[in-house]
Amino acid sequence: MPTEQIFALVKDAVLEALPHLAPEDVTIDKSLSDLGANSVDRMEVVILSMEKMSLKIPMMSFAGVNNLAGLVDVLKAHRA
Amino acid sequence: MSRPRVIVSGMGVVSSIGGDVASFAEALRSGRSGVTRIAQPPVDIGALIENVDFAARLTPYPAHAAAARRLAGRAPFGAQAAIVAALEAWTQSGLQAGALAPEQIGLVVAGHNLTRAYQHAAHEVFARDPEYLSPRYALHYQDSDHLGLLSALIGVKGEGFICGAASASGAVGIIQASRLIRAGVVDACLAVGALVDLSPMEWQGFHNIGAMGGKRFRDAPQQACRPFDAAHEGFIYGQAAACLVLESQATAARRGAHALCEIAGGSIALHATASADPDADGAARAMTGALRDAGVAAHEIQYVNTHGTSSPLGDRTEIDALERVFGEAFPRVWLNSTKSLTGHTLTAAGALEAVATIVQMQGDFLHPNLNLVTPISARARFCGGEAIAAETRLAMSNSFGFGGINASVILRRGDHDV
Repeated sequence: MPTEQIFALVKDAVLEALPHLAPEDVTIDKSLSDLGANSVDRMEVVILSMEKMSLKIPMMSFAGVNNLAGLVDVLKAHRA
Repeated sequence: MSRPRVIVSGMGVVSSIGGDVASFAEALRSGRSGVTRIAQPPVDIGALIENVDFAARLTPYPAHAAAARRLAGRAPFGAQAAIVAALEAWTQSGLQAGALAPEQIGLVVAGHNLTRAYQHAAHEVFARDPEYLSPRYALHYQDSDHLGLLSALIGVKGEGFICGAASASGAVGIIQASRLIRAGVVDACLAVGALVDLSPMEWQGFHNIGAMGGKRFRDAPQQACRPFDAAHEGFIYGQAAACLVLESQATAARRGAHALCEIAGGSIALHATASADPDADGAARAMTGALRDAGVAAHEIQYVNTHGTSSPLGDRTEIDALERVFGEAFPRVWLNSTKSLTGHTLTAAGALEAVATIVQMQGDFLHPNLNLVTPISARARFCGGEAIAAETRLAMSNSFGFGGINASVILRRGDHDV
């Protein structure tokens, strides 16, 4: 699955968890904290993203992620 | 020195018969029932809140709307209803202008097991893929989530807790909030009667224990809830959230706030049972305790907003208790049951019915007691099928719950600025 396609799913997850955001504000270079997400929002984005891709990834795999690009990379790596 | 008096400076309601206090009051006056046919086995009759559009319901509160959507846009429906009711009460109180420090304001959320429908829906995801359970579940399944949402939105930093007493919760919450103010712990306190959102399992449970009505009147839903009528056969579920802003009279007077009513007293009494059964002695002790607390004699009470759930044993037991408490004055006291219009709103009922009592005092009327064809007591002075004009100075509101919990609140008319 290409990066753009995975990011589109992640973006959907972000907008679902944080419905007050404008879609154009959700860009791949931003972190969830940049977008005003708290710790629960961040967990929700991760879980919604996994669900949209039908993946089940151990939470510790996301430990080093610090922006949406990093999240996309982890999802991509587990999408064999 | 006399103890501090507690007044009501704001009220809010979301119910099946009105989405705010004004429309709720109008529905009470016109006798409009919220009970309808619904798609919820095994009873298929209830009084549900319609048009549950959270964003639309926030439009009267522009200062809080965006924050409320951000905080609770995805919270369970019952928590959203509590927020809308609390914003109405808070706005009416005038306290949002900052007259009191946040640390001087308390929050009592009355009710428990509030989000069962939400939990039931989450369980479908969990049973299939536990990994995909929303992390918000850990927050929202807890009733204390209401405290977090409401305090964050309104900016309350004083004492706060969940107050649980089954169907007496709303009344117990008002009593505890009053005590916080009387004790000087806070100067004002929101008392929220929270909506209980039943899952299909609770519907079945209440049906199986024999508490729910709607059997004989299955084809006539609007007649199914008939408190104190000989054909009553159990409660009809209703949805509501209600909020009262209570405040010390001294604080309210200092800022020139209007007293909608005074919470003159209240009392809670158990009757030592683990069953669902009511008890006339327990109910009477709550009522006499409330009268004593208010310094009021029974014959001074002009109107009782009864618990009146339409349960045969419950209705009869409450009448027995009222006869004991009021004695010779019993035939002169007006009685009605708000549940005949709203259904039984469970933990919200005590707060919703306090608001109903206050708006009847303000509007100089008593609302109908619907579906009362053959009263179970010939001595009782029940309201009939139409609202009547009545000027009430002192009223009592009763609430009883499973587990032998009896609560009674005394309300004194508050027409004048404090």
